[in-house]
Amino acid sequence: MEAYRQEIILAAVALYMVFCVITGLWAMRRTTDASDFFVAGRGLGPIVISLALFSSTLSGFGFVGGPGLVYSIGVSSFWMITISTAGYALGFFMVSKRIRMIAELRNCISLPDVLAARYGSEAVRLLVAITIVLGVMGYLATQILAMAVVMQAILSGTAMFADISLVACVAISSAVLIFYCVTGGIIASVYTDVVQGGIMMIAGVLILLTAMSVFEGGMTEATSIILKDDSEAIMPWGSAGIMASLGWFFVFGLGLAGQPHLVTKMMMNRKISDNRHIFPLSILGYVLAALLWVSIGIIMRATVIDGVIPPLTLPDDAASVFLSVFTSPLLAGIVFAGLFAAIMSTSDAFLNIGTAAIIHDIPKAIRGKSINNELLWARIVTVILAIVAALFALYSYYADATLVALLGAFGWATFAASLFPVVALGLNWKGATVPGAVTAIVSALIINFGVQLTGIALPYGVSGGLLSFVVSLFLFVNVSLLTKPPSLDSDIDRAMDI
Amino acid sequence: MGRQLIYVIAAICTTMTVILLLILTAEPVANAGGAAHPVFSGMRIGGDGLARLETIGSLGYAFQALLLSLIVAFATLGVSERHRTPRLRAYMIATLVFSLFILWRMVASHLNFIATGETSYFMGFPAATAWAMYGVWLGGIPLVFIYTLGFRQFIYTDEDQAEFERLVAESVAEERDTENSPEDTR
Repeated sequence: MEAYRQEIILAAVALYMVFCVITGLWAMRRTTDASDFFVAGRGLGPIVISLALFSSTLSGFGFVGGPGLVYSIGVSSFWMITISTAGYALGFFMVSKRIRMIAELRNCISLPDVLAARYGSEAVRLLVAITIVLGVMGYLATQILAMAVVMQAILSGTAMFADISLVACVAISSAVLIFYCVTGGIIASVYTDVVQGGIMMIAGVLILLTAMSVFEGGMTEATSIILKDDSEAIMPWGSAGIMASLGWFFVFGLGLAGQPHLVTKMMMNRKISDNRHIFPLSILGYVLAALLWVSIGIIMRATVIDGVIPPLTLPDDAASVFLSVFTSPLLAGIVFAGLFAAIMSTSDAFLNIGTAAIIHDIPKAIRGKSINNELLWARIVTVILAIVAALFALYSYYADATLVALLGAFGWATFAASLFPVVALGLNWKGATVPGAVTAIVSALIINFGVQLTGIALPYGVSGGLLSFVVSLFLFVNVSLLTKPPSLDSDIDRAMDI
Repeated sequence: MGRQLIYVIAAICTTMTVILLLILTAEPVANAGGAAHPVFSGMRIGGDGLARLETIGSLGYAFQALLLSLIVAFATLGVSERHRTPRLRAYMIATLVFSLFILWRMVASHLNFIATGETSYFMGFPAATAWAMYGVWLGGIPLVFIYTLGFRQFIYTDEDQAEFERLVAESVAEERDTENSPEDTR
């Protein structure tokens, strides 16, 4: 079996992609209007939503960047995972019920739709939609590039595709993504998420079991090796220190409720009462999948220090080296399929909310109504958006990475800082005002862009994301307290009392 | 804990902003954010744990304690005002106390290791890290129980559901009336 390692991995990934295409075709028949395309007609069950929710949370970063971070800076990045219970809790306590209510009352199909209804402001809709489009471009480009790089690594290991170019890999992976997103919209997206989530959970558990068998003394032996080399790396704050760790704790914990691709999924469930099942199921899925992140990172750092394997060229190689050295070809195939699943489940969610912002929210904010025949335009814009993001990814790879890096700053932290106060607090506090919302969004964008553009390194490992989030929260609450409370529409006012 | 809750949240946010500014303007400590590993490129080390915490350690702990308080305050804000009963408040306060206890145990174990160089292990990790890894994660579990087990008591009661269904029905009727209004038929 070992002799066919690459072929087995390739077969697992190919099988997964064929599944995505079939799901797209199946979902096409269920997609009859824009509401189906963007929010699945608000008719999804609890298991589908919970798997879709957690698999979109854990992108390719969790499978590649996560283990790489543990290899590089030890325990520091664990704080992104340990906060998951509190993070999901805030998402459910603060957002899930009210966003679903307003979505049904006003027939909303996007997050900016809900916020425009809540604040009674087209300015808020426009700002949120623009933030989403910018963020989506950065996110999509990096995800497509990650998909292509991994695909090239897999294919180049086989005799038939040894010389395959990155451009070809971008084309293949984008084509699959575009196909099922265009044909089936969010319905295809969430049903592929279900399988993607399942693969990620299985991969997480199997990798943990494999990792525990690398050293005779299990995980304890691995962590003692790291402790002897540099105790701080395996102590609670890791190599990056207390403020870097708390920054992740803050941004990933609170920030979950501000991620547009996640909170949009909270609008799609059939019944509000399903939330009590969706919440624990999402946490369970996330924790199982995140086992991969923790266990690969720890084992790779320990094995390199112990001289079992040579040092990695790049920290992000941690997962692929672990898979090639310590796992069977079959498990490697499952994990690589899981990796594609993680990347695609995040990409399709972004493609969907980006398209909604372009064809629905921005026109509505500017001219007071959305465009005619939204379903047709949704499909056309999905293709265009994915192609632009793919070209953008290639440009950044071959010519200049600055622009993608800049938009990459529009990752989790920027969404968290700019949208959490507006969404999570705004849906629960009637005193939240339009000036408060606008100040919070603008300040978060300025600080994140500013730190990224100027390349300022803040002391003690404080990140731009943490600074912008704290400032944005402070401004949102205090500006709202200082400005005149808005008079809410009667239905929104009553929904906020429930 | 009705309308005052937002003032509690404002106070916590303001204090956290001040603490962050104090940290940003504190005397810099070398390698506070880690340093390159002397042997393995791509790895970073933390170095002297005590030196890194000497200047801003207490501020960092205060920041984290406030963050845990903010999480509980936000979760409480997410519960409709009329369901913020004494029982819910007791559950939320207990959640906060539980989280703060875990933080205290984690910090105490870490400082003890820095002082003695010795540690016990729990489920694969040194004691302090085990508190961070398993404890902090478990710190949020009471919120899961409050939400799932108390769903029909605090989050979405039968009365809430009836009220929402009434609201939707009114909204649909209003929409229908607008569509059928004489102005439209003309």
